[in-house]
Amino acid sequence: MYKWFLAARYLRTKLIAWLGVASVMLCSAMVLVVLSVMGGFLDTVRERARGLHSEIILEGGTLQGFPFYDEFGELLKVELPDMVERTTPAIYSYGIFREPRTTWTKPTRVVGVRLDEYVKVNSFRAGLHYERYFPGTTSLGLQGLSVVGTDPATGRFKLPESLARANARWRAAEKDQEAVAAFDADPFLPAPVDRLVSMEVGERVFAADMGEPRFSGPDLPGVIVGCDLLNERRPDGNFNRYLARGAPVALTLMPLTPMGNPFGEPPIKMVLRYVDDSRTGIFEIDSLQTYVDFDILQDRLAMSPQPAVDGGMTSARTNQLLVGLKKGVDINIARDQISEAWERFTMSKVPTVSRVDATNLRLAKAYTWEDLQRSFIAAVEKEKVLVTFLFGLISMVAIVLVGCIFYMIVEKKTRDIGILKSIGASSQGVAGLFILYATVVGLVGSVLGVLLGSEVVWHINEIQDLLASMSPQLRVWSPEIYSFDKIPNAVKTVDAIGVGVVAIVASMIGSLIPARIAARVWPVAALRYE
Amino acid sequence: MLKTTGLHKSYRMGRSLVSVLRGVSFTVDRGEFVVIRGASGSGKSTLLHLLGMLDIPDRGRIEFDGGDLLAAREAERRAYRNVQIGFVFQFYHLLPECNVLENVLMPQMVRHSFLGWRRVRSTVRGEAESIIERVGLAERITHRCNELSGGERQRVAIARALINRPAILLADEPTGNLDAKIGGGILGLLAGLNQGGQTLIMVTHDSAVADHAHRRVHLVDGVLRKSEETDELATPSRIGRREVPL
Ligand SMILES: Nc1ncnc2c1ncn2[C@@H]1O[C@H](COP(=O)(O)OP(=O)(O)O)[C@@H](O)[C@H]1O
Ligand SMILES: [Mg+2]
Repeated sequence: MYKWFLAARYLRTKLIAWLGVASVMLCSAMVLVVLSVMGGFLDTVRERARGLHSEIILEGGTLQGFPFYDEFGELLKVELPDMVERTTPAIYSYGIFREPRTTWTKPTRVVGVRLDEYVKVNSFRAGLHYERYFPGTTSLGLQGLSVVGTDPATGRFKLPESLARANARWRAAEKDQEAVAAFDADPFLPAPVDRLVSMEVGERVFAADMGEPRFSGPDLPGVIVGCDLLNERRPDGNFNRYLARGAPVALTLMPLTPMGNPFGEPPIKMVLRYVDDSRTGIFEIDSLQTYVDFDILQDRLAMSPQPAVDGGMTSARTNQLLVGLKKGVDINIARDQISEAWERFTMSKVPTVSRVDATNLRLAKAYTWEDLQRSFIAAVEKEKVLVTFLFGLISMVAIVLVGCIFYMIVEKKTRDIGILKSIGASSQGVAGLFILYATVVGLVGSVLGVLLGSEVVWHINEIQDLLASMSPQLRVWSPEIYSFDKIPNAVKTVDAIGVGVVAIVASMIGSLIPARIAARVWPVAALRYE
Repeated sequence: MLKTTGLHKSYRMGRSLVSVLRGVSFTVDRGEFVVIRGASGSGKSTLLHLLGMLDIPDRGRIEFDGGDLLAAREAERRAYRNVQIGFVFQFYHLLPECNVLENVLMPQMVRHSFLGWRRVRSTVRGEAESIIERVGLAERITHRCNELSGGERQRVAIARALINRPAILLADEPTGNLDAKIGGGILGLLAGLNQGGQTLIMVTHDSAVADHAHRRVHLVDGVLRKSEETDELATPSRIGRREVPL
């Protein structure tokens, strides 16, 4: 009993113990902050990577793609009804993006998607810009240029009816009232109909004139452009847009034969309307990809059925088949089952199809989204481990400090230890007293540290803003670089408990040597003199 | 009850070995009051520490109630220190962070586990309070020890020694640090305890108390002698002390 009593008593009466408490507190707060921010960073990266494709991806492995994807998609829904929710194909090709008026060009990866299906297997819709303010108006089909007209009575701009209704829907549903207020303060910038480029840069740009609100010009297929491909990123993480929604842009594509050879003709050029931009949050993707309707792209890339040299027709091809799983299905199990299904499907197909088709079928393979993004996620994972390790190393200071403090206490308390032993306390008991004392110091320190650390993490963005207001040099988190609007600011319970437990154990370890010294005190030696 | 035979103890002083006890043999019976005397540095404290199992002799035997303490396991020796022995030191040796009651309760806290303590706490507390009252500190029960005088501190130490109802009370110059008047009170208290049946072994130079003892032994040259021859010499010194308080 005396251990508990004296440990509590020493904590109350010895000021020095609070030095130990303070060091344990600061170290555990520091590690918790690092773990939470890096962990939050990692989670966001994972979340982004996960929302990129779908849970399972059947990947062709070639640019020319593989056939019979729709047939296999239907088969999957029949064979694995408990697992597979839906499937949708996607084409991946490369081309040149050109903004006709400025003759400004960039390389691009052109993705052909069935937009209505595509947004159901991943989080693509959440990253669309105009679609947010005008829900339901972004499509990849044929469409005219939306022109904002002028109300002759008021002289104010007037959106075409369908856009105005979509915008009203957004207002009704939007929970973020600040976003609505920001929209009202500056709904869009007008661009002359003949140039389609606004004078200034802003959030939204529409073609506008003094006429009626309308859709005009030739009907062209829509294209969604990666936000970093067309726009300029501002330091606050948002984008400067200058090109009107619906302005024509050009894509130059290179169709391939089923064998992967270029067609004899020159590369083909497509003119499309810029209907929206997409932000996945991954710079490598947002600065490269453009999204076009699957069927249109398939046709233009000659991936639709083509007359074969030996007579007959080739089969339609895609580069990927995205598979959306039902809720709660384990992705690794699903991948293995889908792989097997694909193997069986291929075996059944091979005898009846052309050699080229058979080859392309054999090259396709199923992956989970994690498989595809492994290197990307692993880099962040490694970073988290490294940073936590470094700060953990610094936290060793706490162990050493606790050790020093306890050494001092034991030195001062040698006589008390002698007294305790003279009235029957054991060596282990006395050592236990000091380990218990250290544990209490660690417990108090880690609880305070976890509270402090959580408080810091919860307010980390305010702290960052405060620092940045003192000096711009102190802004460490730039939305411009990370494509995250703010520093991750959530504390996970597991992290908090883990840090707390480690801090307590570290304090105990720090007290081991002093405790051993205390255990060795020989009563007579401590008691002979005053 | 307590029997030693041929106790030897020596200390290493640099290169030489100082032999302090060279075959101490004596027996103490239940209820006895034995006074040990001897010149300063003769080994009285050393002997008392051995009797209280605070130290280990080089050679010899210590038996308590027929059991060989030196052959006993460490846990049994601890129990012996805790339960059978109450030790009163010259320098009080109280825990400065604790108050009077807590110091007195400390041997009970050492004796009981965390859970055991909860069961016995109220009973033991009552006993501690009555012992503190007996040593005359009822008013000081919640005082910190550094607020007490030397005499009061020694009374706390005696109360602490008594809390586990020890078979033997060992007192090593309990008044060595106190003036004669205060010291006289402490010695009177100890003598009174003996009259109540408490076995008492005390190192003291005070002849007046020695007179109350059943037996006086003298530690000379590392062995114990019966000290009849010194008793006559002691009487005048007793008178002298009383007349000239320090
Ligand atoms: N730890 C020790 N190391 C060396 N010598 C010691 C030690 N303890 C006691 N002594 C010596 O042993 C002798 C006896 O000491 P002690 O028992 O305290 O005598 P007393 O109590 O009779 O004055 C003294 O000479 C003392 O210096
Ligand atoms: Mg002495």
